[in-house]
Amino acid sequence: MSKIHVVTDSGSDLPLEVQKRLGIRVVPLTVQFADEIFKDGEEISTTQFYERLQTSGVMPSTCQPSPADFARVFEEVAEPGDTIISVHISSKMSGTYQSSVLASTMLDSSITVHNIDTKAASLGAGMVAIVAAEAIQAGLELDEVLATVQNTIEQLAVYFVVDTLEYLKKNGRIALAAALFGTLLNIKPVLTLDDGQVAPFEKIRGKSKALKRLQELLGEMKEAYPDQKFRVGISHSNSLEEANSLAKRLQEHPEVDGEILISFIGPTIGVHTGPGTIALFAYPI
Amino acid sequence: MDVITGLTLKNMLLVAAHNLDQQKDMVNALNVFPVPDGDTGTNMSLTLNAAVKELERTDSTEIRRLTSLLARGSLMGARGNSGVILSQFFRGFSEGLAQVTDVATGEDLARAFTMSSKTTYRAVMKPVEGTMLTVGRVAGEEAEKVAEAGGNAYEVVLAALKGAQKALADTPNILPVLKEAGVVDAGGQGLVCIFEGLVTGLTATPEEVTEILSQQAVPLVDTEFGKVATEVSVNKYCTEFIILGEGINPDWLRQELESKGDSMIVVGDGDVVKVHLHTDHPGEVLDFCGALGELTEIAIDNMRLQNQEYEEHEKNHSLSLSEGTNVVGFPQSAPEPLEPPKNVGVVAVVPGEGLADIFRSLGVDYIVPGGQTMNPSTEDLVKAVENCNAESVVILPNNKNVIFSAQQVKELVDKEVVVVPTRSTPQGISALMYFVPDDSLEDNLAAMEEGMRDVKTGEVTFAVRSTVAGDLQIEERDIIGLAEGKIAVVGSNPSMVAMDLLATMVDEDSSVISIYYGADQEPEQAEELDNLVQEQYPQCEVEIYSGGQPLYYYIVSVE
Repeated sequence: MSKIHVVTDSGSDLPLEVQKRLGIRVVPLTVQFADEIFKDGEEISTTQFYERLQTSGVMPSTCQPSPADFARVFEEVAEPGDTIISVHISSKMSGTYQSSVLASTMLDSSITVHNIDTKAASLGAGMVAIVAAEAIQAGLELDEVLATVQNTIEQLAVYFVVDTLEYLKKNGRIALAAALFGTLLNIKPVLTLDDGQVAPFEKIRGKSKALKRLQELLGEMKEAYPDQKFRVGISHSNSLEEANSLAKRLQEHPEVDGEILISFIGPTIGVHTGPGTIALFAYPI
Repeated sequence: MDVITGLTLKNMLLVAAHNLDQQKDMVNALNVFPVPDGDTGTNMSLTLNAAVKELERTDSTEIRRLTSLLARGSLMGARGNSGVILSQFFRGFSEGLAQVTDVATGEDLARAFTMSSKTTYRAVMKPVEGTMLTVGRVAGEEAEKVAEAGGNAYEVVLAALKGAQKALADTPNILPVLKEAGVVDAGGQGLVCIFEGLVTGLTATPEEVTEILSQQAVPLVDTEFGKVATEVSVNKYCTEFIILGEGINPDWLRQELESKGDSMIVVGDGDVVKVHLHTDHPGEVLDFCGALGELTEIAIDNMRLQNQEYEEHEKNHSLSLSEGTNVVGFPQSAPEPLEPPKNVGVVAVVPGEGLADIFRSLGVDYIVPGGQTMNPSTEDLVKAVENCNAESVVILPNNKNVIFSAQQVKELVDKEVVVVPTRSTPQGISALMYFVPDDSLEDNLAAMEEGMRDVKTGEVTFAVRSTVAGDLQIEERDIIGLAEGKIAVVGSNPSMVAMDLLATMVDEDSSVISIYYGADQEPEQAEELDNLVQEQYPQCEVEIYSGGQPLYYYIVSVE
């Protein structure tokens, strides 16, 4: 009997435990410090990565997996007649989605690939992959799984606070004008994703105030979706303590469904946000 | 030709419009007053064409119906000074024939031409003789003479044409600028073209009318440019628009606008009013008239620039010809500013260079130095707002003594201005956290007023005289700490007073403490204070900046 599989890329920051539990296969992007190239999560750990990021003085770059990388994984994962849902970080931020689309055309025609542009990144894309895998486990038909996935993408809210805009600016992931915000004051901008691109949301003075604001934003989401529960995820780059304390405060909201998933922002996304980033993802169920 | 029918009148007007259209380049070439924009013929022709389009759309042959359509069509289509006057000419014409249904006699037509002239004079604030006004008046007078002598319709219209031609030839004798330029008045010439068309249309058979209307305009090849008139309107902007309102009295509006400029024409029927004037303050005029109804067809041209462009063009005339470029049109638009104007700009009153840098980094366009003990004048603020490259401007007074003068600015500038009533520099900074240049002025005002409340302000300065504040006995030169503008603590050392002051301001919800030290404080002293505050409030992020403000040792904020 034919099966549906979920594949994602390392930009979705799925914890290893979740990958294993739900059988989601992760294709790594590569991170490059000068001449050294590492496969995200395989050849460089997140801890090693942040240490290098802060000490090496070289601005690393990331590179999408090649279509051949994807094609190889697709063929490993799927038997002829199977279907793959390939879930990716925003196509506006990375060529990963495009690479996966190209790979789909290189396959034995008996394997069908549905490429999903989540228009999100980090655990935002990761949560979409989880939604897909859980729907498959629940025995939903392919079209129902895809509909659930699309619905999640549309309703997913993403807000994040960075310690500094430097990394986003250097990597060209945010418009220069927006990056100039408050260069003289210690401003912690709250950012969001607008149609798959980083966009400034609010300027806040001080990290703790900005984190409080994330909590308020979940409250505002509740107004938009009254009587609904929320799945919430938090990802962070080397700021476990802040992520835990935010999770603890959010967990008190009765509308939060289940346990809040916390994950580490890996090198793929960490290159762009820098250390000290806290991101909040939520969608109504 | 004793009387004319509605159908004949329609043909007369169609032929008149056609004749003017054919001759408009010749009329354009005469256009030397008051600005050399060279489009009197075009403007009159477009105005009349808009009017006769209304006639072409109707099957009615009732004279009063036709003339009323003519009047309305010309008013809506009126372009330029001459076009507006022409529209009034037809409005008077329509009024003169308001009781006439099937056929118009010579007497009816003479009355209509007289009314036409009277209406044009009424529409202009200061009628100038030697222009199309005079041409229309003499045409009416000659028509009346023939009608009184019992002349028929044809004789009356012919008399009007002859009167118009005579008056046109006389215009250089009345207006020296015309004589100097060696031309007749352009608007008057346009009117003569119309009378010529009326006469032709009256005598032509329907077949002849069809043939005339099918003729193509012959491009004018031999036209020389009229020389630039030496007189240019004293006011800079030629401003034109239509007000769609209800029951607007043009006489009243004319009086209201008289002080704002010259070359004014205000015409209309109460619901549709066309305004044309030359003014240095188009914004004020638009604001005023915008309150009376919806504004439409707004056009503002800088006449001084047009004049300069004309002179430039004259200098290069032969060159242009040899290059085969179009020498008839002049660019009409003002030069582009270096940067496109912002949607919303910000002017802030800031008391020190360090604070000014912080405000600039938050997107403030224009800093007015001032604040405590050096309140800027309303004029300073007006200049700042005018220099701000934005149509809408937010003012941050950042001091309670500046709020009122900031509010006066609204009445004194052409821009839309709002004041976010910030009473301190920290309130100003807090308000700027919510400033989004692309949002509307209203949205920014609401968000910034809300945002300014996020912060508590403290100030450390010295007492200029002895006083008692509540329980506090204060001697001259004592160091005092103010929380939200009220004396809260007193002492002898600025840093210690700052610590005592913060103790009254910080609570369990506080997360950020900012310290802006003054021009007279050494950075080392400020650093010491910074350390003390960090030790005292480990739960808060403490930030210290050079504010550069005079007289105030420290400005502190807690949020």
